Amino acid sequence: MRQLLSRYKGGGQTQTSLPFWLILPTIIVLLAIQVYPALYTAWLSLQEREPTGWTFVGVENYKRLFGTSLFSESIGHTIVFLVGYTSVTLALGFIIALLLNGNVRLSGFYITLLFIPWIIADILVGLIFRLMVVPDYGLLSGILQNPKIIPPNGLSVLTAVRPTPWFGNFAFPPAPAMDFLILASAWRALPFVTLLLLAAMQTVPSEIIESSRIDGANGRQVIRHIMIPLMLPTMVVALFSLTLSGMNGVGMIFSLTGGGPGTSTEVLSYMLYSIGWDRLQFGRAAALALMIAVVNWLLISGTLRVTRLEDRNP
Amino acid sequence: MNMKNSLLITRRQRTNLLINLGLILVTLFAMLPIATTVLVSFKKEQDVTRKPPVIFPCDTPTQAFDWSACRWSVEGYDRVLAPEPASNWLGFELTGNMIRTYIPNTLLYATTTSFLVVILAGLSGYAFSRYRFRGHRFLMISILAITGVPLLTNLLALYQMGVRLRKANIPLYDDRFFIIIVYMGFFLPLSVWIAKGFFDAIPRELEEAALIDGCSPLGALWRVTMPLAAPGLMAVFLLTFVGVWNEFIAGYLLISRNDHKNVMFGLYDFLGQNIVNLQVLAAACILIALPMVILFLFTRRTFFKAMVEGAIKG
Repeated sequence: MRQLLSRYKGGGQTQTSLPFWLILPTIIVLLAIQVYPALYTAWLSLQEREPTGWTFVGVENYKRLFGTSLFSESIGHTIVFLVGYTSVTLALGFIIALLLNGNVRLSGFYITLLFIPWIIADILVGLIFRLMVVPDYGLLSGILQNPKIIPPNGLSVLTAVRPTPWFGNFAFPPAPAMDFLILASAWRALPFVTLLLLAAMQTVPSEIIESSRIDGANGRQVIRHIMIPLMLPTMVVALFSLTLSGMNGVGMIFSLTGGGPGTSTEVLSYMLYSIGWDRLQFGRAAALALMIAVVNWLLISGTLRVTRLEDRNP
Repeated sequence: MNMKNSLLITRRQRTNLLINLGLILVTLFAMLPIATTVLVSFKKEQDVTRKPPVIFPCDTPTQAFDWSACRWSVEGYDRVLAPEPASNWLGFELTGNMIRTYIPNTLLYATTTSFLVVILAGLSGYAFSRYRFRGHRFLMISILAITGVPLLTNLLALYQMGVRLRKANIPLYDDRFFIIIVYMGFFLPLSVWIAKGFFDAIPRELEEAALIDGCSPLGALWRVTMPLAAPGLMAVFLLTFVGVWNEFIAGYLLISRNDHKNVMFGLYDFLGQNIVNLQVLAAACILIALPMVILFLFTRRTFFKAMVEGAIKG
């Protein structure tokens, strides 16, 4: 008995094989559904499909990917999308969290209503927003396409082309469809960010805020010099996780714009879909996927580092 | 003193008013897209395709808005649900594919997947939380790193796996088994991390007491720890359930037969048709989103906990 207990409690190595058996089923599923496909992708990125089968082409897929103009254009779109999406969501999320933090009595009611967008599938959010701006018939189109409100010809979000870029070929200013995509994505991600920031805001000790108030700090100073620094780790976590979802989400683009008009909302993840599944260039798609994976890994390890720092000094 | 006091109260009231005003605005922003979809879903085709669009289908040739002249209709829902007279106790039967095939399929996928994910993530989360063994850290980090591989490329390999399995003529096998395993693989990594977090919060002393009283380690896990971890595992169940319900791209690419389609794939039945069926599309969106919104309203506390936990940990 004592032996069993000491084995169980011993923080170092255990001789029991129990944890192995507990983890095994999870590992088998993950090997089949995640690890094998990932390795297959790595292999695929070095291959090219010939009528006879797959042939090894080395880094040719990567070279060809870098050679297409759509690739650099997509990077531009991705940067514009990510910057817009994360900054809009974080800023609005912070303001809403502040409001909720200030209102104790009704916050439960508001939180419940505000959170409904998060539960709706991204593909449905895309459709719902598309319904609003369908050319001529959408309820928002009625306002936006009115030449009296938006001169000279009104604005049809889903068909208006990109304005002339300011800096060479970089996709700025974005097409109206991209702005709308950012709005739709932010709408869906806001609840998540708000909740995260609200949770962090409520851990800011009220004594610190009160004593700084007594020392004469005004509301803006409290936010700027006390709340934001104390909430910084959570904000970084929120930023990384938004970037991660923005890098990889494809459902909303799929149903809202389909990458269009032209290629103006074709971000890297959508490009991956279209070269892999529309044009069936699997090798090139795999090469692109690995590049996206590298960015994802950087973001994940960044998140881990930040949360571990936070654990260390609570 | 008295006057100063009353001044303070009015100032607080004013801030409260401003905060409530802000929250009402934000809630309106969150509800607007949903409200427009509900409006569209209850219109007739003739009102959906008007130029310029009208918000309420309540205008008459002489008046801009007349409450008694509103032409609300359930045409959209009628087309999705396709009720037919039948001889059961209700007197009718819903014959639309959405109700007859897609929703039952999705319920099957979501329930089975979530159930299996809870069991596997519970077992391995427990092992990771309670035992220190060789490769502990490596496995935890690997499970997280796995999520960095873009889903779209895993699907390249999974698609070919699916084709091969289909050709292998395994008795009783069909796409449904495969899609459930695939969904398990998608939702397990984060679930393991969340489950470990919940187990970490349960004191070990309780299990140790059970061990001293003569319980086996598995018995202690089953009788003592699992009941305490139930709320956390419930959170994993709900997150996975909603995740599977809302998942589109894997179902779209991996399901080959019409009678195995899930709801999000089924939604595309209504997209291929032309633009005048906006009311049908809106009705379908509402019908698909509604179950999840209701589920969320009843279990929101569990969701909030899991969201914060999941974001900080992974």
